[in-house]
Amino acid sequence: MKRIAAALLAMLALGSCAKSDHRTHLYLQRFFGECGAEYGGSTDVAKAEGECGIITALVNRFNAENPDIRIDVNVVAWPGYPQLTAQVAARDPPDLVTMHEGVISDYASKGLVEPVDGYLRAAGISPSDFTEAARQGVTMYGHVYALPWDTHGGLFHVNTALFAKAGLMRAGKPVLPDSADEMLQQARQFERRTGKPYLIQSNVGDPAFAARNLYTYMMAQGAVLFPDAKHVRLNTPIGVDVANYFRRINVEKLGTQNMDTPAAIAAFVSGEGGIYPTGTWMIGSFEQEAKTPGRPLYKSYAVYPYPRLWGAHVEYVSGHSWVVPTRTRTPAQRAAIARFFKFMAAHNYDWTRTGHIPAFKAVLDDPRFKALPHRADIAPLASMGRPLPAYVLRQNAIEGIVGEEAAAAFTGQKSVPQALAAAERRVDQLLATVD
Amino acid sequence: MTSERDWRGLLFVAPFLLLYSIILIFPLLRGMWLSLNQVDLFGAGHFVGAGNYARLLRDPVFGTSLVNTFEVTLMIVPALTVIALALAMALNRASRSAAVFRGIFFSSAVLSVTIVTLIWRFVLAPDAGLLGDLWTSLGWQPLPFLSDEHLVLPALALTTIWWSVGFPMLLFLAGLQQIPGDMYEAAALDNASRWTTFWRITLPSMRRMVVLVVMLQTIAQLQMFGQSQLLTAGGPSGASRTAVLFLFESAFGRWELGYASAAAEILFLIILAVTLTQYWATGRATAQSDGR
Amino acid sequence: MAAEFRRGRLSPLGWAGLTAGAAIMLAPLVWTLLLSLKNNAELVGHSEAALHGPYTLQNYAAIFGNSLTLRWLLNSTIVALGQTAGVLILASLAGYGFSRLDFPLRKPLFIFILVGLAIPSQAVILVQHQLFAWLHLHNSYPGLILPGLVAPFGVFFMTTYMRGIPRELDEAAMLDGASRWTIFWKIILPLTIPAQSTLAVFTFLGAWNDYWWPLISATHSSMYTLTVGLAAAQMNYAQTSGLGYLMAQAVFASIPIFIVYIVFQKQIVRAMAGTAVR
Repeated sequence: MKRIAAALLAMLALGSCAKSDHRTHLYLQRFFGECGAEYGGSTDVAKAEGECGIITALVNRFNAENPDIRIDVNVVAWPGYPQLTAQVAARDPPDLVTMHEGVISDYASKGLVEPVDGYLRAAGISPSDFTEAARQGVTMYGHVYALPWDTHGGLFHVNTALFAKAGLMRAGKPVLPDSADEMLQQARQFERRTGKPYLIQSNVGDPAFAARNLYTYMMAQGAVLFPDAKHVRLNTPIGVDVANYFRRINVEKLGTQNMDTPAAIAAFVSGEGGIYPTGTWMIGSFEQEAKTPGRPLYKSYAVYPYPRLWGAHVEYVSGHSWVVPTRTRTPAQRAAIARFFKFMAAHNYDWTRTGHIPAFKAVLDDPRFKALPHRADIAPLASMGRPLPAYVLRQNAIEGIVGEEAAAAFTGQKSVPQALAAAERRVDQLLATVD
Repeated sequence: MTSERDWRGLLFVAPFLLLYSIILIFPLLRGMWLSLNQVDLFGAGHFVGAGNYARLLRDPVFGTSLVNTFEVTLMIVPALTVIALALAMALNRASRSAAVFRGIFFSSAVLSVTIVTLIWRFVLAPDAGLLGDLWTSLGWQPLPFLSDEHLVLPALALTTIWWSVGFPMLLFLAGLQQIPGDMYEAAALDNASRWTTFWRITLPSMRRMVVLVVMLQTIAQLQMFGQSQLLTAGGPSGASRTAVLFLFESAFGRWELGYASAAAEILFLIILAVTLTQYWATGRATAQSDGR
Repeated sequence: MAAEFRRGRLSPLGWAGLTAGAAIMLAPLVWTLLLSLKNNAELVGHSEAALHGPYTLQNYAAIFGNSLTLRWLLNSTIVALGQTAGVLILASLAGYGFSRLDFPLRKPLFIFILVGLAIPSQAVILVQHQLFAWLHLHNSYPGLILPGLVAPFGVFFMTTYMRGIPRELDEAAMLDGASRWTIFWKIILPLTIPAQSTLAVFTFLGAWNDYWWPLISATHSSMYTLTVGLAAAQMNYAQTSGLGYLMAQAVFASIPIFIVYIVFQKQIVRAMAGTAVR
């Protein structure tokens, strides 16, 4: 009995070992995936591929270049907000957190994240260095509340080999539709000639997918989704049209059914469909496949913004940013955060190798950026992107609700008017409780 | 008998009582208070009396989650009880092979919910799963267990039965071993058939144990959380969202602490009611059979 | 009544059913093991590749290489052992008090504790989270251990068991001038070893497999228990190193608990029998 007690105490002591080195410690929390097995200790940013690889290498490199600072990384499952909520409620939040720009206002309005003007000044960064979209996304209540990191939106990732087989290539470029009817025609042609689905869809467990489609094509037709901070309008003739369209795609089986995100990624990479409408974040990984001989996507990959189906050619976009949750910090920690900001701003080009649009104007003009594959094709996204209005709070929770109901409408689980009405009701109720 | 009503006895129970009051009773009472307020996780709230409860009763998402919880419990408990009882009866023998089989059927019970859902995700998923591969090799379309609204609850039930069969089986075994052998011998002398033996001797003697198993499993499955969150995230579109998952999402996803607390209290009442009903109903049944 | 096994043979149909059942029980476990022994790239889009070679141990090497999995194992061990020790101590003390000492309010206090058996975790967990936040106990071992110490089951179990120990032992010792504490420590406690070991195994299993509380209390990945860490890995799956690695983590997380199960089989079975003879 005594020996067990002694052993326990020893373990407790071991486990609670306080780090008695003289480094400044920062705790960083991010999504983007866990790839420690491949990139664990790597500091070679140029060789890293994909969101996970690049961000892991970047933080490793920062630690290596700044021996007096130590950043510990916590990887959470996307989007990480339940964890962050639990941490903030527990009064023990991280020092740096990745956050979508639409979500910042929730935390900023309650003072749960700090304004970062001071850190930016110390790092020699001015808000005028940001792109217009990025600057708007991080500025609210008269302050800048985050370091913008990128702008991202949906893209059509195309398997050009299958498109060639379907007769949908012209002068080496895929033929994309210019109207809703055209897309249906091309989709049917594709299926006839290749026997594979035109669209690969992550209908399962991916509310962002459905929400993105609904938001984009309603915005394109001029719909005002959030007339004010307390209401959403989805169950309108425009909304019903858009939802019915995607329902039709599923009824005619022009798109895959029953896939979640890992399944959809695997399917596209294995050449099981023509188009995977996911986002900028997959360009890096898919480009990697396109460079590897023997893979189904070898030299068969192209990518474009969402096509215009109705109305204007616009797209719903969002952006990633780095926020600093509110807590007491030592001056050394504050200085370390400023140095981190400076480092990340200097490496914004490296992040764009993932496919995301940069947050800094200088990178847009950087020849290295322009030379990256496919960037010319997706460059229009920078100007056609439309975020949700900043006065809309709980954007992440709302996206979950809207995405869930939209997916139900698209797959036929609920009737379209029923799903859209339910989405409106649930979102309105949520916004009513927010003060 | 030394029965000094000596307060020093309290010293032995005090440590536990202290922790218990602070960590269990206080949160219970405060939770009830919170359920009467509209308050989010970070702000001061204001009193709304029964407002949260009224909103919950009108909330179709909460209603669906309750229905899902009841459905999945009904899918699991009877099947689990029957399977565990059958296994216990079949394996209630002293042979080596029976011991091996008992070990196999209990092995899943020691795993955590995260391991079990991880394993079963890759059994049930149509694209990478074991069942999907099996179906494809037989030339059939894989069943979308995790994405079809009609298949998700059975999928959760299947996973849970696989996971939970061990403990009830052991309980039934213990119960079977309490039945005196002479009862069986007497039945054999009377040339009673297997079925009669089961119906007239085994089952009545096992009544208490069956009641215990049904009660414990019902309480457990009404509180299902991990399987719903990890296998299907409550989807598609809430078709497999259980009541506890609804609670979790309200509190940590939407920051609605008061609302989530009210949902927790409703669930608490339901569990209490179900438990008491089962207790009362079987108490009467046992009394009737005892007083024969 | 001695515990008796039945004699008599099982019909061939019965054996067939049992074998089929056992196959269903084992198939998912075997599948997981096979997946964990494959190279990740081979499995992308073709998980059936797990059914044939080549097999590799590289995923397990990766666990020991660059992963927090070992840290999670340490956390789980500390929390489970800590909770087990705590429960044994508190439940034994309280059980002794309730079973053999008479003090004011004894009956009401016992009922007070029994009531707790009916309280489901979700009725208290949100406020517990707030309470522990106020006490700054999150992301710490005490924070992970304390909530598990207040489950009334242990007190109830030990009280019932201790009631079965004859009072004459106490009386004889008191005639010799022994204090209550000495009686507890030197006489009663050693007699409860079977119950202690059963309660220990149950508490250990429950603590090891606990999901919801560590999920919201241990939010730093270095404080995750194995259970939570595995859930995080599963939710991150879309952007992870791969299916084989994920399954290797699952196998790795199962090994300690299987070891406990095999070593303590007797206690587990005895506990079930004990509950039966209530």
